[in-house]
Amino acid sequence: MATLTRGAFAKPGTSLQFKTGDWRLQRPVYLHRNAPCHVACPAGEDPQAYLARLAEGNSQAAWETLVAANPLPAITGRVCHHPCESSCNRGDYDEPLAIHGIERTLGDEAILHGWNYPVRPLSSDALRVAVVGAGPAGLSAAYHLTRLGYRVSLFEAESEAGGLLASAIPAYRLPRSVLGDEIARLLSVGMTFMPRTRLGRDFTLDDLRADHRAIFIGVGNQRGRQWSVDGVVPRDSRPGLDILKEWLSIGSLPAYKSVAIVGGGNTAVDLARVLKFSGIPEVHIISYRAVPGPGVAAEDVMRATAREVRQAIEEGVIIHEHRGVRRLIIRGERVAGVEMVHTKKLTRSAGRRETVEFEGTETILHVEQVIPAVGQEVDPAGLEMLLAGHPFLHPDSWGRLEGFEGIFAGGDVREGAATVSDAIGDGRRAALAIDSYLRNSALPASQRPVVRLNDLNVNYFEPQPRTKIELLPVGERNAEREIEQALPLSHAGIESHRCFSCGECMSCDNCWTLCPDNAVLKTLEETAAGDHYVFDYDYCKGCALCAHECPSGYILMEPEP
Amino acid sequence: MAQQPLEGSQAIAQAVALCRPQVVAAYPITPQTHIVENLAKLIADGKLACELVSVESEFSAASVVLGAAAAGSRAYTATSSQGLLLMTEVLFNIAGLRVPLVLTCANRTVGAPVSLGNDHQDSMAVRDAGWVQLYCADNQEAIDTTIHAFRIAERCELPVMVCVDGFTLTHTLEPLEVPAQQQVDNFVGPYAFARTLKPTDPITLGTVLSHEFYPEVRHAHHRALLDAQEEIVAADREWHALTGRSTGGLLSIEGPPDAQTAILTIGSILGTLADAQAEYRDQAPAKLIKLRAFRPFPVDALKQACEGLRELVVVERAVSLGSGGIIAAEVRAALSEMSSPPRVHSYAIGLGGRDVPMNAYPKLVAAAQSESPPRFAIFDLQPAKLPAEDR
Repeated sequence: MATLTRGAFAKPGTSLQFKTGDWRLQRPVYLHRNAPCHVACPAGEDPQAYLARLAEGNSQAAWETLVAANPLPAITGRVCHHPCESSCNRGDYDEPLAIHGIERTLGDEAILHGWNYPVRPLSSDALRVAVVGAGPAGLSAAYHLTRLGYRVSLFEAESEAGGLLASAIPAYRLPRSVLGDEIARLLSVGMTFMPRTRLGRDFTLDDLRADHRAIFIGVGNQRGRQWSVDGVVPRDSRPGLDILKEWLSIGSLPAYKSVAIVGGGNTAVDLARVLKFSGIPEVHIISYRAVPGPGVAAEDVMRATAREVRQAIEEGVIIHEHRGVRRLIIRGERVAGVEMVHTKKLTRSAGRRETVEFEGTETILHVEQVIPAVGQEVDPAGLEMLLAGHPFLHPDSWGRLEGFEGIFAGGDVREGAATVSDAIGDGRRAALAIDSYLRNSALPASQRPVVRLNDLNVNYFEPQPRTKIELLPVGERNAEREIEQALPLSHAGIESHRCFSCGECMSCDNCWTLCPDNAVLKTLEETAAGDHYVFDYDYCKGCALCAHECPSGYILMEPEP
Repeated sequence: MAQQPLEGSQAIAQAVALCRPQVVAAYPITPQTHIVENLAKLIADGKLACELVSVESEFSAASVVLGAAAAGSRAYTATSSQGLLLMTEVLFNIAGLRVPLVLTCANRTVGAPVSLGNDHQDSMAVRDAGWVQLYCADNQEAIDTTIHAFRIAERCELPVMVCVDGFTLTHTLEPLEVPAQQQVDNFVGPYAFARTLKPTDPITLGTVLSHEFYPEVRHAHHRALLDAQEEIVAADREWHALTGRSTGGLLSIEGPPDAQTAILTIGSILGTLADAQAEYRDQAPAKLIKLRAFRPFPVDALKQACEGLRELVVVERAVSLGSGGIIAAEVRAALSEMSSPPRVHSYAIGLGGRDVPMNAYPKLVAAAQSESPPRFAIFDLQPAKLPAEDR
């Protein structure tokens, strides 16, 4: 006969005996998916990863995570057009994270505290790799190659490294001291830097091949593209980039009362602002494309960074969007103005887009000079064999040039590259490809799937406005003072807590807490997925509660195998 | 050990702290509040390592300490009056599950009518919840009984309610001896509950039980309470050996051994009556029976104490409405087993905090000699205050 227990307690037949896992039709899996900011970053940064480190209060770890992809955050944190923010899932919820400002803050902290890049010393038998061009692409390639254990020779035609960063970006966007500090530290990680050594003049590709196992070409596009209106070129007209470079190197600027710059890229906008700061009363930009704004299709927007366009307009630069130059008005030998015409890009058959000029919309703009800023092309010196008559190189996404084994290329030398971040990303990918080529190993695996807003459970996030980044008031701006102000580290820390942690576990314990079968177990050691949870499939019924309640889209439901 | 002036509540808090509770949960109610405030201060000052759980009601307070004790922590709570009644459901559960806990009831009457005054209506109302109930005559006893309570509770696996008269004891300053930590540690020992809930060896407390086992459960619980008498006596005896102080075990007797009249009472009016006993020694000689343990009800000790008595006046601070004296009814039942039991007189006194003066003593002794005593009466009733129809 059964006997009583004290207090009538019972030895339960534990629920562990009911292996409810065999009810399951689908199973949850932990899967680190990509945050859209990561996918959008041309340089290959994973902002979610460094925001998480920053949110933990470890700004140095955040910076180290950041520079694992991009060694120049203090620079890109100033000049990048930040597609990370445009793609941020939070943008569809309240406002995107201020990733660009945080990147700069981390870069500046590293300079302030003298943090070192996480680079190991080279071994004595390290293979030699040549990098030609010390602009953002070459610097990035050289840095990543050094990290990967290669002995890098970095050749630069000019007397200092930086490429367009040094020669064409005004100080109000990128202070010289920041540029100098960031590049000096990068050059000191263990590469050999050879300034004033120009490809095609001082050495040839064959010279390099003789004592290097691989070559990266990052020489940029140095030559202003030919520009004329029906074959007419105004007297004294010089490419906008040349004017900008001359001003940056010797401080001289042409003096006009009014000027029209043709083009919609960063050169056009930078030059327009520099001219405006120099006191020219009337500075016009004539662009086929539109001023960025809500509802404007991405392919129709001026190529210049949106915030730079916004600031230029604030400062009084007049932008004529959707306009082309129909005719130059020349009086004697001097420019007296241009005739503009309304244009629009229309999609023709087979998706081909064509710029159409509308008859009868011509207007006259009286200006003293017209400056073309319509882009550059590659200076072919030393690259004749690779270019084969084309204005640009056409490497694949890993920088490989078909038919030229061991030669890789990236940055502005590539057709389609447009930004500093593109160049940094090209350099990084080419470094990985060189490593794979020299080790005869596979390239890194393809991308993980991307997490979108509807993959998240935003009920777990409070609406919170984005941290404001202060700008100098228009009246106080000039060409030398940095216009965008720093985001203080404390604000950056607060901002980092807004991150949705798209696709990555943030150890919130929701799955562990809410699983009705206690089928989520916590581990002391980090799991293969990189978190501290495992599913106990003996008990998981596949109810998907965990996946639904995961704030960050880190749990996927998969059909039972 | 030197005496120090302490408020009753402060003394009780120090006694609780000496027993090293790991969880305290309570909801404030007059006159209990100072006890928990003092404990909170000890915790905040880092003098007591304990989780203080602020709850939203007495029901939760009792539930928290029930859970804490079942999960392996020594736990404590305190309350009064309506608060105790709000806990009632949980009080039955705690006892039925045989979970050791200590609760201080700062006795206060129960509304309506609302009053803060002291009597025993609250603890008497839950007398059948299955708890040990010990009543304290003064604040030194409150200290000592609190310490005994943890040991009794844990050895018997029964919850213990230490009943302390509200205001009369809780809010009175007097010179008191607080024992040394080492003494208490040795006396109480570490908390170890045989049925601690732990994930590694799961058991279910509070299962549904059918009639198949229900009578057996009640028998076992009743038996445990009866057996607790030994532990109550043993605790007092050992404590006396350690400190030189006795609180009287189940009950104690004072006064002339040959007196044939005795007054039996409970709680703090014992102090008044003891003083009066000395004062009126010649005029109204009588024994004073101090009942300390009301649950378990010490039938055998009581019979022994009443041997040779002719008149026994039971004076109590609660009333079973529609029946009469609560203690008196149980005394009558117990003494009916005697071959020549004394006549039992049943009086309530000091209800709702009405003062019990020294001269109540000779009046009670005189009433015991009455030819035809009432079956039950409120001794200090002032009939003139009643509406005519209720006199």
